[in-house]
Amino acid sequence: MAVPLIFKTIEESGISTWIRDSPSFFAYWFILSFHAIGMGLLVGASVVIDLRILGVARDLPLSPLKGLYGIIWTGFWIQVASGLLLLIAYPTKAFTNPDFYLKLTLIGLAVAFMQKLRQRVFSDSTLTEPEMMTKGKALATWSLVFWVGAVTAGRLLAYTYNYLKYDYRG
Amino acid sequence: MNLAHVHLLLNHIPVLGTLIALGLFLVSLVANHDDLKQTSLALFSLVALLAIPTYISGSGAQGALKESPDVSMSAIEAHQGAALLAFISMEITGAASLIGLWRFSRTVKNPWGSGPGRLNLLTVLFLAALSSGLMAVAGNTGGDIRHSEILAGQEATSTIGAVGAGLTEAIHHFVIDSSMWVWPILEDLHFLGLILLLGSVGVLNLRILGFLKQLPLAPLHRFIPWGIAGFGINVVTGFLFYLGMPDFYILNIVFQLKMFTILLAGTTLLVFYCTSAFRSLENLGPGEDAPLFAKFIAVSSIVLWIAVIVLGRYIPFGEVT
Repeated sequence: MAVPLIFKTIEESGISTWIRDSPSFFAYWFILSFHAIGMGLLVGASVVIDLRILGVARDLPLSPLKGLYGIIWTGFWIQVASGLLLLIAYPTKAFTNPDFYLKLTLIGLAVAFMQKLRQRVFSDSTLTEPEMMTKGKALATWSLVFWVGAVTAGRLLAYTYNYLKYDYRG
Repeated sequence: MNLAHVHLLLNHIPVLGTLIALGLFLVSLVANHDDLKQTSLALFSLVALLAIPTYISGSGAQGALKESPDVSMSAIEAHQGAALLAFISMEITGAASLIGLWRFSRTVKNPWGSGPGRLNLLTVLFLAALSSGLMAVAGNTGGDIRHSEILAGQEATSTIGAVGAGLTEAIHHFVIDSSMWVWPILEDLHFLGLILLLGSVGVLNLRILGFLKQLPLAPLHRFIPWGIAGFGINVVTGFLFYLGMPDFYILNIVFQLKMFTILLAGTTLLVFYCTSAFRSLENLGPGEDAPLFAKFIAVSSIVLWIAVIVLGRYIPFGEVT
């Protein structure tokens, strides 16, 4: 299948070239650092909620952990912004790699399960803590699985691409 | 100053530090003195942290000596081998000590009785004794490199050094040559370790700073072993990267800064255990404000761990070409 020409256009744009090739401290590695920190916030906060629901730190009151959703969403939007910039730098590299679509799917599932957890467990104030834990158990387990999958798929993007650029096979 | 200076500055710390901490630990066990036990455990952890730059700067010292005709390469190899075994043993000792410290720090409301169990302490004792022995061999073979006056004319030989040198080679082969998937999988584990560390340390620090204030502090401490596990995963995977491509890392300034920052960040983690800093926090109930010094430690810890992540991402940027 031919690679769409639009990727070439994006890669030749000023911003794409700058992110990719500039020796500046604030170019590629700067954005990649934000992508790592955003991951730490998004997944780190989710994992704390999941572990608590699965029984770690049982004597910790569960409902105030709802506040961690603020961190989750902060991390999420950092990921969207930094991810878009990385996509502008290397569109062909990402979109020609099936692993990239796998990563997006897994992130979508993980975020959806975290939101379900919020609705079913944290937003229902009639539930007792044991009820919250029982109700959230499956959701927490699955979101953990999806997060590990998403991080793995993301990390492997650096090793599985077919094209580095439009006219450069990796 | 080059890495040989750093190595000469640091190299006696793990050797003597392990011995001193071991002596102190023995006294504390005989006298059954809890404060002394905690001090020894904190010392073991600190020595384990300092052993990281000591080992790594050794490769730099080796590079500096390469040109000297009067230095025996086989002596360096024996030393490097012994140092690797001593380093691995010391890191495991440090991990066991951290777990002991963690058990101590939550004695206030410990459902299983007081402090770390006997098995935990005996494990530390055994590992520390092993580390002391290995450190002695590492120190001895290291001395042979430059101080030919202590050799009675013959080339230094060391079985332990030879075993360690073989292990260094085997690990290098495993990381680089055995499969193209080893490195990516290690990278993946390194990121998952980062998440465990940042998540567990982060939520504790944020509570101290007043975010999620409705949470009582003591139970949050249960997340700390997950953070220690994450840190452990990253020390192991990180060390495997290093043994895979030592020349890529050793002169890289960003990598050196990262190691230094880990030292500082690791120390803030230790401060929570070996000073009374956490003791007074254990009783912090829902809605209560943490004391200012605890907030200071919490901010430092967050800033330092984020810096470690950023520096890690910038390592390729600092590549020496």
